[in-house]
Amino acid sequence: MARELLLSRRGFLVGCSLAASPLLTPVTFAAAPGQNRLVVIVLRGALDGLDLVRPVGDPAYGALRPSLLKGEGGIALDSAGFFQLHPGAAALMPLWQAGELGFVHAVATPYRSRSHFVGQDVLENGSASDQGTLTPGGDGWLNRALVPLGARQDLAVTVGQEPMLILEGDVPVAHWSPIDDSSLSAQGEALLARLYAEDPLLASAYPGATDLRHDGGAGADVQPVELGAYVAERLRGEARIAAFSYGGWDTHQNQSKVLAKRLGELSETILALKQGLGPDWATTLVVAITEFGRTARENGTVGTDHGTGGAMIFAGGAAKGGRVLGDWPGLGDSALLEDRDLMPTRDVRAYAAWALRSQFGLGVSDLEGVVFPGLDLGADPGLVL
Amino acid sequence: MEASLLEQIRFGYGPRTGTEPAAGGVDPSRVLAQLDAADPASIMTDRPSLDQRLAMVAEAQREAKQFKAGQIAELTVLPRLKQATRDDATAWILTPVASEAGFRERLVNFWANRLTVGLRRLGSLPYLSGGYPDDVARPYLNGRFSDMLRASAWHPAMLLYLDQAKSVGPDSRIGRKKDSGLNENYARELLELHTMGSGYSQADVTETARLLTGMSVGPAGSTFEPARAEPGRKTILGQTYGEGPEEIDRFLNDIALRPETAQSVSLALARSFLADQPSEATVARMAAAYLESGSELRSVYAAMLADPAATSNELVKIRSPQEFVAATLRAVDWPVEGLDGKVRLPGKVNQALAAMGQPPFRPRGPDGWPDTAAGWVSAPMLAARIDWAETVAQAVSRATKDRAEPVPLARSALGDLGNPDTIRAAGQAEQRWEGIAVLLGSPDFMRR
Repeated sequence: MARELLLSRRGFLVGCSLAASPLLTPVTFAAAPGQNRLVVIVLRGALDGLDLVRPVGDPAYGALRPSLLKGEGGIALDSAGFFQLHPGAAALMPLWQAGELGFVHAVATPYRSRSHFVGQDVLENGSASDQGTLTPGGDGWLNRALVPLGARQDLAVTVGQEPMLILEGDVPVAHWSPIDDSSLSAQGEALLARLYAEDPLLASAYPGATDLRHDGGAGADVQPVELGAYVAERLRGEARIAAFSYGGWDTHQNQSKVLAKRLGELSETILALKQGLGPDWATTLVVAITEFGRTARENGTVGTDHGTGGAMIFAGGAAKGGRVLGDWPGLGDSALLEDRDLMPTRDVRAYAAWALRSQFGLGVSDLEGVVFPGLDLGADPGLVL
Repeated sequence: MEASLLEQIRFGYGPRTGTEPAAGGVDPSRVLAQLDAADPASIMTDRPSLDQRLAMVAEAQREAKQFKAGQIAELTVLPRLKQATRDDATAWILTPVASEAGFRERLVNFWANRLTVGLRRLGSLPYLSGGYPDDVARPYLNGRFSDMLRASAWHPAMLLYLDQAKSVGPDSRIGRKKDSGLNENYARELLELHTMGSGYSQADVTETARLLTGMSVGPAGSTFEPARAEPGRKTILGQTYGEGPEEIDRFLNDIALRPETAQSVSLALARSFLADQPSEATVARMAAAYLESGSELRSVYAAMLADPAATSNELVKIRSPQEFVAATLRAVDWPVEGLDGKVRLPGKVNQALAAMGQPPFRPRGPDGWPDTAAGWVSAPMLAARIDWAETVAQAVSRATKDRAEPVPLARSALGDLGNPDTIRAAGQAEQRWEGIAVLLGSPDFMRR
């Protein structure tokens, strides 16, 4: 499997500039029974939900963000005009109109401090801790979902250099990365293999490393469209779950420009997924989640600082979109968390859990006990048709 | 003063083949004495100082304007700045390859990583951050952490990297006139990553951000601009501060001497040098030495070196990619003399480091590089290390006309600290270069 994947990957990888975009990191896949598909995108750096889906109908909003709202206006999402979409994501409007794109507002993980690093770990680990303590295994929630989901264990593959926590865990995940061909003889390889087999820290990484050295192509510069097309190609094959991360959302300054660029790239990726999936887009759900939101008020450098409540994006032919879900807590002074952040009104893990349940029929006890320990699944938000 | 083999492996960048290590295991006083020897700082002696970099940046900006206006046909300064950045990356590898004070070089990298400045493609930052380890870590690593923290806080690269230079007090003169205000990025990472790690509130972060306003970067480097400084009192962790650089320094000193900082710094050091999960008792002893001495780092190192894990023959830590690459070059006695200007390396070292997960000066975030096995062990990163081992082995083979003998190299690199099978395997390969590749790519060689 790994080998076939590698060969097919060569088709689209371009260049070999290692100064390439560090924003796109590993892609992970797993196969599962049935035709339904799930793509989880981890937006690293804390996406500003209040700028992505602008609550312009909230009387407090305008005063909180005078500079950020000076630029190009948003795109009305509903006839009441309460929410507007950031213009950087304009390319997604046809999906919205077709009911294939929706948002969830005012969500957060249970973590209540504002460290990126802990926040991302919690987001990928699925912990219920407000302190950022990880579950005992310290593994990823998507990995824990693979077993009850009946995933074929040999089909999970990560693409990229670094491990990605969301799919790390007991279910083995193979890696792929572009690296030069190996030139050791079979004898040299055998000598190394024997040494590694005895090393408790390194033994598990070695077989994958050997495959990579034998199969690697060249080049690591993956562009959004190519990434989307590649993920789609795998999902049209045996893979049913894909996860990858996309960084660069930490907009402490110059937010208008930075966010527009990132949203444009994210939109391209999602549209490339749709195009690449063709008829299989109909059974696909994409969710994009981030470690936390950003401050309700803009900061002094035309940006925003680390906050709490944020937004989740969901899309796909399977999605019941055209809606902004979630209980809107308001932005008035008394409504803000600690007088600074959008108050989260629901656990983002509940939406992730419902995504797994809707697409793959995962049981409540598995979701509340294994995948997201301590989660109250709550009412079905109806992410899918 | 040679270090023992174990000292070189655990507290340095591994032995250099061709030099005879001292006998014995770890002698704490001998390790610490490395910090007293004269420091040549860098083998690439013509790298520009911070002041020179600032002057070059200013000159490059002038040139860019003239170039745009059509007054000059060619940019001359920008290429020199870019060359300096390339040299910084080369020096990052070759300085520890050349140095016989490996402990000092490990500490330079530890502290520069603790107080990370990443290279972002923004303004002048890329050209100022390459000298940061030499400006901030090297001069203070045998002194007080409070002094190092102050040096880092006032380094232009730090002020730019974590956005502090842009932060404006809302009630400052500029803040009242212009539409600008606080940016709490640096304030938060200062408390979370550089000092305490825990034990402070969001209110402390905000108050710290208010206190730090005014710290800025001008053409001549770091400055304090009173017009940007938030007036009035700031209360942080129960202490009250006024405004101005002296008050900022007083705060930095206070925060450096907090027990949470002592604990956090000690844990990070022990985790880096001794074990992914170091003994709590040792960390507590290190933290006590830190607090008693007013953050004198030598006393903290001494407490660390007294831990049984410091002297154990079992190598439990995984080398970082930079440590691994430097160790491979030392193991094959790669020539480093007379390298000013033109440096020859066995392969594309920056690309190799990136594939191993450590592109020079580009950590993923302000928390710096990982310091445990979990951050460095994955199939792709291990594949990149073994590929590098092959590259070095082939280069040595070419340079010596295939005369380099793998078994003596393996004995010199590992002594009796490695698995005897590794030395044996190096001798069982079909070709000499393959034996060297097996040694350098072996699990033993990944450890320290």
